Amino acid sequence: MSFTITCPICGRRDLYEFRFGNEDRGAPPDQEGLTREAYTDYVHHREAVAGPQKEWWCHRFGCGIWFTVWRDTSTGREVEAPEGRT
Amino acid sequence: MFWRLKRLWGEPTFKTSYDAVMIGGGIHGLAAAYFLAREHGIKDVAVLERRHVGYGGSGRNTAIVRANQRTAENVRLYDEGLKLWPRLIAELDFNMMPFHCGNLNLGHSEAAMAALRLAVGTANFCGVRSEILDRQQCRELIPELDISDRPTYPIFGGMYHPPGGILRHDAVAWGLAKGAAGQGVHIHQNTEVTGLGLEGGKVVSVETSRGRIRTPRVLICAGGYSVMIAALIGLKLPIHALTIQAMVTQPLKPILHHVISSGAYHVYANQTLKGEIATGAHMDPWPNYTTNTTAHYIKHQAEAMTDLLPFLRGVRFMRHWAGLADMTPDMAPIMDGNDPVEGLYLDCGWGYFGFKSGPIAGKYMAEFMARGQCPEMLEPFNLRRFENFRPMGETAAVVTYGPNN
Repeated sequence: MSFTITCPICGRRDLYEFRFGNEDRGAPPDQEGLTREAYTDYVHHREAVAGPQKEWWCHRFGCGIWFTVWRDTSTGREVEAPEGRT
Repeated sequence: MFWRLKRLWGEPTFKTSYDAVMIGGGIHGLAAAYFLAREHGIKDVAVLERRHVGYGGSGRNTAIVRANQRTAENVRLYDEGLKLWPRLIAELDFNMMPFHCGNLNLGHSEAAMAALRLAVGTANFCGVRSEILDRQQCRELIPELDISDRPTYPIFGGMYHPPGGILRHDAVAWGLAKGAAGQGVHIHQNTEVTGLGLEGGKVVSVETSRGRIRTPRVLICAGGYSVMIAALIGLKLPIHALTIQAMVTQPLKPILHHVISSGAYHVYANQTLKGEIATGAHMDPWPNYTTNTTAHYIKHQAEAMTDLLPFLRGVRFMRHWAGLADMTPDMAPIMDGNDPVEGLYLDCGWGYFGFKSGPIAGKYMAEFMARGQCPEMLEPFNLRRFENFRPMGETAAVVTYGPNN
């Protein structure tokens, strides 16, 4: 049993071909009126959920594209997006 | 039986109220409970453990202790930690199997050597023994080391840190559990924390799978799972859990007399008292709450180890395991309390430094919890250092220097 990630261009490939690009945190907060707390929250704080989370990955040793996938951190396996989320 | 076997720690009755509750029955929680009871007279303490004592990081690390970190604040803490082991062993009357073998960090580039010189400078500034070795001296220390130009990353030199060594990690957990139980601390195994009760910004209770416990003080020391505990009250931490893997070879006769580590190869190794070469360090950089091991890493480890120490060719790996490391952005731990929630104390984010720091962190956290005021030693490790833009400089540690920088 091996771990894989599905690249939108190259398809299902070995996990070690990819670079992990952190949880999906959405767009950075607006510079206007940015507080320390909001900045720290965006840069450092993690949801670190034990379950499905949306992540950025890059197919480093492949086509080089950046894309998002859902992965279950309690199993390490790629999963379908939970219902009602993309 | 000729004698009655006595349990190191029993199965105490589950009370509904304690003066302090430690979430996590590993070395950190047990040490904090032990020192709270022994040095501060707070004996009505519970240690809650979801599985059993030493199941998590406490029993999965590679048992190396050292004080050769990058920043002075850290070196001082770990140095005091090193000095605490003999006292603890005597106090607990428990054989923790220390082996004072010293620690050799290898440098494989000029940049790595510069980092080693900085680390030696910091250590000497703090009164900790550490010295730079050239490649010939490295070979004198470990004759089996290949110092030729043949390896992928030839050795430029190293940093020798004599106070470092190894202990038996299970013995540390068991000894502390025995000591804490002897002081009247209740150790509750198979007890999962499911919630934390707050009232007016203060901790008042802990919800567990066995019922509610009322308590004014809670310490989160659950290693890789600390983020999940903090999330129960919506407290976000700058921590992500990574799976770190380690393995041991078949037992050999005594041959490796020091802990050896290399940032470029990303390996460290030591020979246990049983003769196995215990080696580890690989971390997949994506967060995981699994303890899966990977074939990818066995291959990496075999390549790296035989490149550095050619005598290991043909030696078999016997066991391979993994544990969680709770990583912070600056590679330094978070020890804080009463902020932002009164009565809630944090002792987490240790990454792969949790074992060497266990007793000393427990000692200072116990002082913090007993007095309600942060001991001077722990002040730099506060949680707010990230929003104050004062992270520690541990990311510049030797281990992060690869062969090309």
